[in-house]
Amino acid sequence: MTNWLDVWQRSDQFFSGLAITLEISLLALVMALAIGVVVAILQVADNPVTQFIGKWYVEFLQNTPLVIQVFFFYQGLPSLGVSLSEFTCGTLGLGIYTGAYIAEVFRAGIQSITKGQWEAARSQGFSYLQTMRHIILPQALHVALPPLGNQIVNLVKNSAILSTIAVADLMYKANLVSAETFIVFEVYIFAALLYLTLTIPLSALVEYLEHLVARGYH
Amino acid sequence: MKLISINQSIQCRLWLFFVGFCLTAPMMEREVRAVIKFCNVNKYFGQHHVLRDINLEIKEGEVVVVIGPSGSGKSTMLRCINQLEKISSGGLVVDGFHLDEPKVNINLLRQEIGMVFQHFNLYPHKTVLENITLAPVKVKKMDPAEGEKIARFYLQKVGIAEKADAYPSQLSGGQQQRVAIARGLTMKPKIMLFDEPTSALDPEMVNEVLDVMKSLVKEGMTMVVVTHEMGFAREVADRVIFMDEGRIIEEGTPEHFFKEPKEERTRLFLSKIL
Repeated sequence: MTNWLDVWQRSDQFFSGLAITLEISLLALVMALAIGVVVAILQVADNPVTQFIGKWYVEFLQNTPLVIQVFFFYQGLPSLGVSLSEFTCGTLGLGIYTGAYIAEVFRAGIQSITKGQWEAARSQGFSYLQTMRHIILPQALHVALPPLGNQIVNLVKNSAILSTIAVADLMYKANLVSAETFIVFEVYIFAALLYLTLTIPLSALVEYLEHLVARGYH
Repeated sequence: MKLISINQSIQCRLWLFFVGFCLTAPMMEREVRAVIKFCNVNKYFGQHHVLRDINLEIKEGEVVVVIGPSGSGKSTMLRCINQLEKISSGGLVVDGFHLDEPKVNINLLRQEIGMVFQHFNLYPHKTVLENITLAPVKVKKMDPAEGEKIARFYLQKVGIAEKADAYPSQLSGGQQQRVAIARGLTMKPKIMLFDEPTSALDPEMVNEVLDVMKSLVKEGMTMVVVTHEMGFAREVADRVIFMDEGRIIEEGTPEHFFKEPKEERTRLFLSKIL
């Protein structure tokens, strides 16, 4: 019980880490969503060059460890003369990595929309991009939301890896407190509970969005 | 003196007649102008030769019904008109747009051609009203309030004004197809294409859709209709076209077609479905 008290006394450290985790997750999420839409469209576009680029983006980033990708930004880029802050490296690494997964989610969603929807829209004079924006993507989102929710939760959890490049996130602070107090069990349980305070509302939010876009489907 | 004046008045009348002819002749020509013109059109899907040397002219205000067995190329021919399929060779002019040229602005042409599909293809995530106003507002940049006014007018016309705020999934097949027709009409098209508009409908809903189409015929809309509804063809078509194996086998008025078809293949087809 005294251990719990020791942990609680340092709770402001945990909360400052939690704030960084939230901030970095949100920035990376916005980036991942943008990358996801663009790469998904590259993959489904009727053009072998964009298909190739989209496919290899996804394959390369899905099939290499996130830690290595983050290290590339943190330690690889400086050797090429580009120095970025830990925070920027973390956001870039996490956003680019999750973007590959979200691209696959969107691609599957887009490809699940029947050809008839394309034909109806194109026959009315919608351009390719207008069709994508007004007809295809809104319907694809309906299909993609549940797996998209999983990816968003994964993003938050994966952000813990950024502690390895000294981003002062929740995981980093937990390591710090643990090293100072020699308390392990309670520290990480507390950190895990704090991660839950992010991920559970996120899941609920996604569920609510699913309900919103479900209008029209009965 | 008197003789001259008679002569003059005759001359005068001749002149008037001539001038009048010169003025009206182009108008008469414009009245029967071909809005769709296929010239030796061929279409391949890979090795498969789906359209063979199609020659066809459709005039403004004409109602052309295309019949034939499945796989005969009739839907493909229809879909070439708004370039949902690209022709492989030959010439195709639609409303002054040369579809055989690479630089044609197809989105501009498509705004003038309404299309109704077998499976309706309404946008499921939009209400009936949104389905109808989306293209006028986003493509033609129509004022949204104006778009809604026109949409409600056409919904009234196809007889489902009360369903404006419903989603397509809440409508019957016949109602969905009537919404699809209203969606096409709100773009104020010059040509309407129908690709087996009643084939996916329950039998008791076929007539509500055909009735809407007949009202369009009365208003002088240029229509190309691929269908198996022979009653519709007989009643309203100006011309019936029979296709088989990618060729136009026979064309003529409904009377010609259903009373004394010339070709053996046409007779065989009609004997099976009538």
